[in-house]
Amino acid sequence: MRITVYLGTGGVGKTSVAAASALAQARAGHKALVLTIDPALRLRTALRLREGVLEQQVDLEPAATGELWAALLDVRATLDEAVHLYAPAALVQPILRHPIYATIADSLVGMQELMAVERIDQLARRGFENLVVDTAPSRHALEFLDKPMFFADLVSSNWVRLVGRTYKFVAGSGLASLGRKSIDFYQRVESILGANLVRQVLDFYSIFVSIAEGYAARAEKTVALLKDPAVTEFRIVTTPQKAQRDARYFVHALEQRRFRAGGLLVNRVWDLPAEGIEAPGLAGEALEWYRAVSRAHRQALDAVQREFGGRLGVIRALPELARDIDGMAALERIAPLVFP
Amino acid sequence: MAIFCGKGGVGKTTLSLALGLRLAGQGRRVLVVSSHPLPELAIAVSLDGLATHYPVAARNLFVVHIDPKELLKEVVERNFPVEWVARAVLNSSIYQNLVEVAPGLKEFYFLARLQALAERSAKGVPSYEALLWDAPATGHFLSTLASARNFETFLTGPLAAAGGELHRFFSNMADVAVFPTTTLEEMAIEETLELCDKLAAGYQLRPRGVVANLISPLALASEAEWESLPAQGEGALGFALDRGALERERIAALRRRLDRPLVGVERIRYSRNDLDALHQIGEALGGLPGWL
Repeated sequence: MRITVYLGTGGVGKTSVAAASALAQARAGHKALVLTIDPALRLRTALRLREGVLEQQVDLEPAATGELWAALLDVRATLDEAVHLYAPAALVQPILRHPIYATIADSLVGMQELMAVERIDQLARRGFENLVVDTAPSRHALEFLDKPMFFADLVSSNWVRLVGRTYKFVAGSGLASLGRKSIDFYQRVESILGANLVRQVLDFYSIFVSIAEGYAARAEKTVALLKDPAVTEFRIVTTPQKAQRDARYFVHALEQRRFRAGGLLVNRVWDLPAEGIEAPGLAGEALEWYRAVSRAHRQALDAVQREFGGRLGVIRALPELARDIDGMAALERIAPLVFP
Repeated sequence: MAIFCGKGGVGKTTLSLALGLRLAGQGRRVLVVSSHPLPELAIAVSLDGLATHYPVAARNLFVVHIDPKELLKEVVERNFPVEWVARAVLNSSIYQNLVEVAPGLKEFYFLARLQALAERSAKGVPSYEALLWDAPATGHFLSTLASARNFETFLTGPLAAAGGELHRFFSNMADVAVFPTTTLEEMAIEETLELCDKLAAGYQLRPRGVVANLISPLALASEAEWESLPAQGEGALGFALDRGALERERIAALRRRLDRPLVGVERIRYSRNDLDALHQIGEALGGLPGWL
């Protein structure tokens, strides 16, 4: 099993780089799958991704010795699948129809991270040996690793287990079988948050707890895989302007969590020849403008090389592609530059 | 109040700070509410030298991050004036877990605080003349707005009433100017158009204008100027012309599909430091409708 996780802030082209890296692995003879969050339309078309389709093999021209697969992280579909797989049969429909379930599944806040880990487990079970994971576009992307553990802690806490199983009964009978102190807390919390909301959440937990416990157990296993340097490598994608700050931030965040930082890819580099054609008027002004931006990019690359060249195994620059290349053609162009 | 919203990485934080710097430099008291915790913001943008180089702005520019967990803590402390009781509630796992899993609760309290800050005044004088919200990325931004509406629809009691009031505040064009922000990347444009539709459908919010960020000088050149350029070139010139043509196509597509004013902000070609970059971008924001 080999997992490569791509991290980066928004707008750096992380999804394309992740897909190109999976393509490079397929060309090297592996059965590789890229799990993407939200690819651009043309990339989505190239990878033949559609809502509701769990994973899809991508035809390669010329054919590769390995296979390239692509999967979309569809939060709702992943969660539904977990409910069908792990809930007792009688509870499947009550869970799927619960109003809190809909709210949780649809509010993207946090769910992507939780479901990414669930999905890695599902894919590993389906026999994919090489996984490339694209993460949510954020500096918080590492929450994708913190949150499952939080969720695991939450559902394994005595409180949720107890409430999950007994709250309905207690609420219905008024019996203080949880002890006076706990009932007291419910009432205080209800008085602040509103009784309705508290009851709905508790009611949902009372039926969701069976899934949540299973989820927690699987999440712990998956996070252990991600922590294993022999299995998982994290790579940072950035753009020239953000390179130095992103590298500092993510390298520190990875080291803190004891994850392996395997490399830095600086994307969308404008590498224009400094000499050559001159042009008059507006064309000349535009040319000078582009050269100035290009110079700034080169300086940014040099700075990041100096600071991180020794600590990060690989630092690569990926050029901004010309306008007429996109979809699979763009991936084929980048793949050899992204180390497999 | 102005809101910069849009896809992650399009420059919402930079634009909010740049506009804040410009307005504060004119002597207006400005509060920038950032979706990034301040230590993290400090990694992304450095305001070193503000007091020396922009003394007027330094006196008038305020930047905060609102942590919803802290807000809820205040609510508890208000409800339980006896300190040890409040502490017991806050420390109880029941409370902590509920707050974490109750959908929309933190977003709801965040919005309420934002409204309170926008309306805060002392002796009839508003505390801030402008409040700039550097909103979270589209999905989270929409679900934050939705939390007010959901609380009004699904619940009864005090939270529902507050939700109704919030929903009305954020749907009021006179109070709130929304500026969806995009780069000329395909995905960012699609997301911006979708965001505009959802704001109109769900909140009767019509963006005051759309900001196209990080564009090149050829993107907004007049048709006559563009026609005067060579059709193709080699090396750097070829790249500039290709890139210019691509950006012009995307701007045209944006204009076709939006009936709102478009404000272009050029990529900074050189800046001595972050503050200098913010100053240049603030100047470029001159065309922001109804704001300067």
